[in-house]
Amino acid sequence: MAGIRIEHVTKSYGPLAVLKDFNLDITDGEFVVFVGPSGCGKSTMLKILAGLEEATSGRVLIGDREVTDLAPGDRDIAMVFQNYALYPHLTVARNMGFGLKMRGTPAAEIDRRVKDAARILGVEHLLDRRPRALSGGQRQRVALGRAIVREPQAFLMDEPLSNLDAKLRVHMRAEISALHKRLGVTTIYVTHDQIEAMTMADRIVIMRDGEIQQIAAPDAMFAEPANLFVAGFIGSPGMNFLKSKLTMGSGAGTVSLYGQDVKLALPAEPLKALDGREVILGLRPEHITEGNSPVTFTVSPRLVESLGSEKYVYCDIPEANRTDIARAAGVDDERGDAQIARLINAGDIALGRPVQLGFDPARLHVFDAETGRAVR
Amino acid sequence: MRARPSRQALLYLGVVLTCGVLLFPIYWLVITALSPADSLHHLPPKFWPDVPQWGIFREIIEQRPIPLWLGNSILAALGSVGISMFVSVFAGYSLSRFRLRGGPSLGLFILTAKMLPATLLVIPLFGIFRQLGLIGSLWSIILAHATLIVPFSTWMLKGYFDTIPRELEQAAMVDGCSPLGAMFRVILPVATPGLAATALYGFVLSWSDYAYARTFLTNAQTNWTANLGITTMKGEYITNWNQISAAAVLVALPIIVIYLFLERHLVGGLTAGAEK
Repeated sequence: MAGIRIEHVTKSYGPLAVLKDFNLDITDGEFVVFVGPSGCGKSTMLKILAGLEEATSGRVLIGDREVTDLAPGDRDIAMVFQNYALYPHLTVARNMGFGLKMRGTPAAEIDRRVKDAARILGVEHLLDRRPRALSGGQRQRVALGRAIVREPQAFLMDEPLSNLDAKLRVHMRAEISALHKRLGVTTIYVTHDQIEAMTMADRIVIMRDGEIQQIAAPDAMFAEPANLFVAGFIGSPGMNFLKSKLTMGSGAGTVSLYGQDVKLALPAEPLKALDGREVILGLRPEHITEGNSPVTFTVSPRLVESLGSEKYVYCDIPEANRTDIARAAGVDDERGDAQIARLINAGDIALGRPVQLGFDPARLHVFDAETGRAVR
Repeated sequence: MRARPSRQALLYLGVVLTCGVLLFPIYWLVITALSPADSLHHLPPKFWPDVPQWGIFREIIEQRPIPLWLGNSILAALGSVGISMFVSVFAGYSLSRFRLRGGPSLGLFILTAKMLPATLLVIPLFGIFRQLGLIGSLWSIILAHATLIVPFSTWMLKGYFDTIPRELEQAAMVDGCSPLGAMFRVILPVATPGLAATALYGFVLSWSDYAYARTFLTNAQTNWTANLGITTMKGEYITNWNQISAAAVLVALPIIVIYLFLERHLVGGLTAGAEK
C-alpha cells in the first residue's frame, strides 16, 4: 500500500485541454472519489494514473516511486472497469488469477489467493463459471476479486457501479466501502454520481472542464461549497439559487428575498467588497421548513412529489429573485424560476393551496454573482 | 403479436421458393453426375435417374488424379489463408485500435484493392511471378489469392475487433501484459469466431478460384488445383458431363462439410462482427 502524488498533470488533445494542472496528494489508505459531470476529465485522470493514457505534462508518484513513464503492468495498481472487462474466454478463477500469472506467481500461490479473494467476496461457488454465466452483481464482484487478489498498492475504480440497477448499486456501494475498510488499500474511485461520492469518500475531488473545483471531505463539501458549481452538484435535490442586490447596513449585509429584507448571518468583512452588487444566494431544499422560521413566506406549490417519508414541494421564485443558473449546475435542465423545498414529515400539502414556508438566514450561502465563488 | 396465418403461409412460400432457386443447381449437378451419359439430353428431362450411377465417382478417381488436385487446392487455400490471416490480424487490429494519421483513408485504400476485378490483376501478377520464377509453382496462386483475401479479411477483422471493448486489453495491460501480449492472450482468443469466419471466407475464395490457376499453373500438371483439373476433363469433341459433374460434386464436398460443422460459430461470428 502507498500514497499517491499527482503533480501538475495536464492532458491535451491538440488544442483541446481536457486536464488543466491537476495536483493532488492522496495519503496511504485513503478513499478518494473523483466526481463531476461527463467530460470533466475524471476518467482521463484515472487512466493517466493507470498508465493507460499518457499525461501531456506533469508527474505521477505511487509511494516514493515515480511511475509517470512506466507501463500499466509495472505500476502495481489494479483497476476495476465500468463494464467489468472480464476476460470472456476464461473462467472466474482464471480471470482472477490472470494478473498473478502474468507476474509469474507459482500456481499454488495463485490458487490460494484466488480462493481467499473469492471467499471475501462470496463468489467461491462461481469459480468454474465463465463471465457470461454470471449476473451483473456477480460480474461486479469478480471484477473486484480480480483487483484484490493482486494485493496492489492502489485500486483504481472507473464508475464500477453504473451498470447495476439502483438497488444493487446501493448494496455494492456499501460492500466496496466495507472492503476498503477491511483491506485499507488506497482507492481512487471515479463517478458522476454525487451520492456515491458523498457516501463512500474520505475526500471528494470535484471537477469541471478539466479543473479541480474543490477538494474536501464530503460533509465539508456539502456544508461549505467553494463555488456555485460545487453547491449545485453536491446535494440532492440541488441547491436553490436566488438573486438579490446586497446592501451593507449597520455591520451586516442585507439582501431582499421574497420581498423582505433579510439580514445575512455572515460577518460583514468579506461582504463589504460586494456592497451594492448582485449576489447569488444558495439555499438547500432541506433547509426550507414548513411553518414558522426566522424568515417566512407564503407560496402556492406548483408540483408536489411525495416520497412517502418526505415531500419535494416545487414553487415559483419571485421575479426579482430569479437567476438563470440552473439547479444542479446544468446537470438537469430545470429552470431558475422554481425552487424546491424538501419537507420531512410534511403535513397535507396540495397543489395551488397556499402554504407557509421559511428558512433561517444562517443557512444561506452567499456567492459572488460575477465569479461564482462562495463568500465566507 | 402473432402474424396472421395467411401472412405466415406467404412467408413460408417465399422461403421455400428462395431455397428452391438456390439449391436447384446443386441438385441438378448431383442428378447429372448420377445419370448415364446418354440420358442427359432427354426431353422431357428426368428429375431422378432410373438407375443412379454411383460407380461414377470411383471411375473418375481411377481415371484422373483428383486426390492430387484436391490436395493442391487444399495446400493453396491453406497457404493463402495462412498468409492472409497473419497480415490481416495485425492490419485489422491496428485499424481498429490505433489512431493513425490518415488511418480511415488508409483503410479505404486497402478496400479499393478488393474492388479491382481479379482478371485485371492477372497480367501484372503474371509479369511479377515470371520474374520471380514462380510461374507453375503453387506459390504463385498462394500469393495471388492472398492479394485478394487480405483486403476483405482486414476489413472484416477490423469490424470484429471494433465490437470488442477496449477495456479488455486495458485490463490485460493493468494485469501485466504488453500491448502485443494483451492482443495475443485476450483479444485473439475472444475474437475466435470472427477469425474462423474470416479464415473460412478466405478458404472459399481460394478454393473457388479458376482464373489465376488457369493463368499461372497451366503448364505444370502436377500442381493443378481441382477447379483447373475439372476444366481439362472437357474434351474437344466429346464431353462426359456426368464425369465432370461427379468431379464437381467431389470438389464441392469439403466446403459443404466444413460449413455444416462450423455453421453455428460462423453465423455468431459474422453477426457479432456486424454489430456496433
